[in-house]
Amino acid sequence: MGATISRLSEKPNLWPWLLLAPLAIYLAIFFLVPLIDVAIMSFTEPRLSIANYQKVLTGALYQKVFLNTFMTAALVTLACLCVGYPLAYLMNASKPRTAMLILLLVTMSFWTSFLVRTYAWMVLLGNNGPIVAFLRAVGFETPPQLLFTRFSSTLAMVHILAPYMIMNIYSVMRKIDPVLIRSAESLGARGFSLFRHVYLPLTAPGIANGCVLVFVICLGFYVTPVLLGSPREQMIAGLIGHQIEEFLAFGMGSAMAMVLLAITLAILAIYHRRFGLDKLWG
Amino acid sequence: MRLIGILVIVFIAAPLVIVVPMSFSDARSLQFPPPGYWLGYYRAYFSDMNWLLPTWNSILIATATTVLTMALVVPATFALVRHRFAGKSFADLMMLMPLAVPHIVMAVGYYSFLGDLRLVHTHFGVVLAHTCLSVPIAFLVLSANLKGFDRNLERAAQSLGASPVQTFIHVTLPILRPGLLISALFAFIQSFDETVVAIFISGRNAETLPRKMFDSIRQEADPVIAVISTLLFLAVLVALVAPFAWRGLRSRLAESAPRSASPAGQ
Repeated sequence: MGATISRLSEKPNLWPWLLLAPLAIYLAIFFLVPLIDVAIMSFTEPRLSIANYQKVLTGALYQKVFLNTFMTAALVTLACLCVGYPLAYLMNASKPRTAMLILLLVTMSFWTSFLVRTYAWMVLLGNNGPIVAFLRAVGFETPPQLLFTRFSSTLAMVHILAPYMIMNIYSVMRKIDPVLIRSAESLGARGFSLFRHVYLPLTAPGIANGCVLVFVICLGFYVTPVLLGSPREQMIAGLIGHQIEEFLAFGMGSAMAMVLLAITLAILAIYHRRFGLDKLWG
Repeated sequence: MRLIGILVIVFIAAPLVIVVPMSFSDARSLQFPPPGYWLGYYRAYFSDMNWLLPTWNSILIATATTVLTMALVVPATFALVRHRFAGKSFADLMMLMPLAVPHIVMAVGYYSFLGDLRLVHTHFGVVLAHTCLSVPIAFLVLSANLKGFDRNLERAAQSLGASPVQTFIHVTLPILRPGLLISALFAFIQSFDETVVAIFISGRNAETLPRKMFDSIRQEADPVIAVISTLLFLAVLVALVAPFAWRGLRSRLAESAPRSASPAGQ
């Protein structure tokens, strides 16, 4: 089939369209129509108006949730960077065998379901878990509540999303030509100035990739904040789910979903103009 | 730097390691370290239809999703990688869109859309939704493979008289097989692990394993989850280590083989 295409492709032909058509039609029906459905519901439920958007954009509760979501996503991104950069550096600097083992661990974490990792943090941070036991042992009479707080959901999200950051930074670091570092050293760059003027700019694409990916995933994160977070400090995805499941408030849920979608796509569009979206997940 | 690295490794590894002893625990609720050990929760998992049925549903849905995804993605990837046509970059972008939209947004959409089609709470409905989410991942893997494909091999086959169909079956397909397999595997895992859309649309009838786990964690934190987590974790470990082990075994066989096998080789 591939060869047929190559022979025909000299003339303008229908082959690519024929090959593409089934998927295009499928995505149009089962991906775009449901999305448009959300857009329509945000204006028509319960009746035709822009009241849902007015509420979402001006209501104190909703503003608080959006702000909370942004702050959490920013914090998680920053923490992933602080965790990921040193580890990627260590992997790059260590022997191939050690680097392989660390990479295996990171990949394993990456492939282990979100739910499994969320559950593991529930065990670790629970009232009968090892961390609370440790805090008791070192003298806390009444250890602080760790589970079902902003702390526990943030920590678990950092753990879940860190592999994205590590893999992105590591793949860029691996390609750095050691000659560049050596020549910088021979020109007198040392320590922090070597890092600041040579290493950091060279790894910047990996950092940008990792940060955009982690931030965007975190903005729409549902499972972990709902299971581990404080019910009083919801994130936007949790609130959308709540509106649909508890109140069957499709209008409000859809309006919030549209705002979340607009923000996500805006961030990705900026990224796309500078780097190309296909590189983000590549 | 080294100390930070070790701390980070512990941070990443600890949650993965902890579920294994938890699965053998005899505690009724979350408690670590466990007060005692037994296999009771393994027995509970393998004898409880409330857990086995969602597992079966997930396998069924992920398999159907993989088949449908590959049937749609393989021809489309050939079109997008091997052809230049007006609107190609737009088509490339559209392939990735399902990856860009937060799952919770899709969940709201599918809840209403599949509800209109009377497909909410059915296996078929979940497959239709999951296929959309698997498409970009299968496409990314396969297009990377197809871009690295040396087309001179096809030209050589054709210059030797192979027809286009023969070339495709005997040259293109075998070379592309690893890429196709990995792409299908990614599509399968994407569906098997997908939680958010499944929570909203799979209902009681087509309940998937992630949905059942989510509900169970939210309500009672049934220790059976530790068993499933251990099994899933083991599956990932096997899938990751198996290729290395296989390669190692083969190279070791190859080292010892030539001496004994050389007469046959001649």
